[in-house]
Amino acid sequence: MSKVLCSVATRGRYFTTLPLVLNAIINQTKPVDKLIVFDDNDEPQDMRKELIYSYFFQMLDAKKIAWEWRFAEKKGQHHIHQHANMEGFEWVWRVDDDAVPEPNVLETLYSHVDESVGAVGGSVLTPPYLPDTGAVTGLIDNIDKEPNIQWGNIYVTKQVEHLHCTFLYRAGVCDYNLSLSRVAHREETLFTYSLHRKGYQVLVVPNAITWHMKNPQGGIRSETKQEMYEHDEQIFRNVLKYRDHTIVVLSSGLGDHIVFSHVLPDVRNPLVFTCYPEVIQGRPISEAIQLFGDIEGHNIYRKMDQWKWQDSLENAYRKMYL
Amino acid sequence: MIIISPYAQKLRNGKQNPKNYPYWEELISLIDEPIVQIGIEGEKQLVPDFRTNLPISALRELLWQCRTWIGVDSFFQHLGWDEGVKGIVLWGPSDPLIFGHPENINLLKDRSCLVNNQFLWWEATEHRNDRFVEPKEVIEHLKNF
Repeated sequence: MSKVLCSVATRGRYFTTLPLVLNAIINQTKPVDKLIVFDDNDEPQDMRKELIYSYFFQMLDAKKIAWEWRFAEKKGQHHIHQHANMEGFEWVWRVDDDAVPEPNVLETLYSHVDESVGAVGGSVLTPPYLPDTGAVTGLIDNIDKEPNIQWGNIYVTKQVEHLHCTFLYRAGVCDYNLSLSRVAHREETLFTYSLHRKGYQVLVVPNAITWHMKNPQGGIRSETKQEMYEHDEQIFRNVLKYRDHTIVVLSSGLGDHIVFSHVLPDVRNPLVFTCYPEVIQGRPISEAIQLFGDIEGHNIYRKMDQWKWQDSLENAYRKMYL
Repeated sequence: MIIISPYAQKLRNGKQNPKNYPYWEELISLIDEPIVQIGIEGEKQLVPDFRTNLPISALRELLWQCRTWIGVDSFFQHLGWDEGVKGIVLWGPSDPLIFGHPENINLLKDRSCLVNNQFLWWEATEHRNDRFVEPKEVIEHLKNF
């Protein structure tokens, strides 16, 4: 059975919704293999001194669930999720610090996992707003026209193209877009859409309800700068605009370009950004940064390091772009 | 004519690139045919015919004029492979199974000479002469071309 990491990114919610979330995670019918709480508070506290938290930690120990309280970098939750994504687990169940899952959620989500699945989400209900999402498609093209499918009760399993808030996902396959601002607007949409683009099924499933106790304080709602949302929205729109292309960013050496030139003919509808146009024609790297923000996900050396790669550089490029 | 491409990219910290072969002078002294060195301005000149800052197209043409080439783990070993001109690559701390091409002759002294993490900046790796094969071994392979 695959190992599941549960990651919780928290900010400003020590004494409101976070304890409810942790209690819900501890009491899942399918226990997680490890829980990491990423503490992104501006002034982090030692929660071992808090009575309720000390009980939580003892409950985790008693249930033999590994846990870690990790102080985060204060760059936003997308950076936190990327850390969780690369922890070496096959699956990550990401739970927001104001989203309280019912006890069967992980068990239900996990029951839908197979080799073809990239992510599974359930309902994320925020009463009193409970729209009927029975006819919602969950397709990226309809993102401006319909409510998110997870906002309502889900009665049948459905394949969609993006998820939000909280879900179980296949780790280490796609990266979070780290160029988003601290508000990380659209981060989960971009991430789950990238899993869909990679060829994995993204599913919403019934009988997996999480109660979203939206809290006006804490989380990304601590940030109010409109320009951050606009910045992130622009990146999201550019990803959609160029989605029919395979975006290739070669911010690497001359030799790497030469090797990649043997891969390029097999890349589907490539849009190439290059350092050496005399080897591979394309647009300048600066344009890629302007359009998509983060290009670190295209760093083939970082990827090979993550993959503990032992095959050829050419095959690493093939894994990345084919 | 033989092309030599003796140096890998300069490091940002000014230290010697750990992929640079340390015995070029001795190796060159054992080669009894014309040698063209390619590289960039500022690199140490090892033979009279040193051609610097050639564009890729000129390097490709030069490859077709040579009997073979000898280089280190730099862009040139990829260029030779790309042109289908077989050469000898002198490996040190980087892994020919990852960065090399089986079409070339890849001379690695021992896999114990490789650094553990192949994907970090080379600035973090010290240059060590004992990672590389001796010139006599290179000459034996050169004779077999």
